[in-house]
Amino acid sequence: MAKPRLLKNNHALILLIVGLLGWLIPGAGFFFLNEKKRAIIIFVTLSLIFGAGLYIGSIGVVDPYGSWPWYIAQVMTSPLVMILGHYVSAGGFPVYGKPAEVGQIYTGIAGLLNLLCIIKSVYLAHLYRIETDGGQNVADD
Amino acid sequence: MSPMINYVIATFTSPENIGTNPQALFWLLPLAAAISIGYKATKLSEIKAGSFFKDVVGLFGSIVGFLAIIALVLYVITWLATK
Repeated sequence: MAKPRLLKNNHALILLIVGLLGWLIPGAGFFFLNEKKRAIIIFVTLSLIFGAGLYIGSIGVVDPYGSWPWYIAQVMTSPLVMILGHYVSAGGFPVYGKPAEVGQIYTGIAGLLNLLCIIKSVYLAHLYRIETDGGQNVADD
Repeated sequence: MSPMINYVIATFTSPENIGTNPQALFWLLPLAAAISIGYKATKLSEIKAGSFFKDVVGLFGSIVGFLAIIALVLYVITWLATK
């Protein structure tokens, strides 16, 4: 049975909201899906590891021009990192050697872990819809 | 802004001093712990304190164990190449 177009659109919208929330605040996608324990664990873990990276290497590790591959991974933690990157790109926060290396790895891994969380929360939101609709949407979609 | 807040913000504007010595390798431990916790938080179907902790410790041990094995193999190769 074909589903109303509005329902299909809403489903896509919910997936988009879950993904965007998860990107804006690590774990918020799961929180939206009422997976509170998961959300808190992810938020605390990613915040700590990202904060530790900034503490070790200073905010200079968020460098959109000097180390853009790491920057792409870092931005996956939250779009707020882009504000930090804009602030840092003005200069004044040089960091080299081991602190830069450790800081970039910590913040980059935090971003990539959040990407994993975003993908998983969006997938979970998709599964919830299949469960609540009795599996009919698998064929419809 | 209070001096305390200023101090906290200032700590994020200058890097810490980390030497290039064997002890620096221990910086991988918090990272491995975060990866284990983050991954298991997404992977497990239900979060229960006991099973979650057991799974996290297992994954953490696997990561550190495999890295130790790789380090040992690389050390042996270097030793054989330079003896």
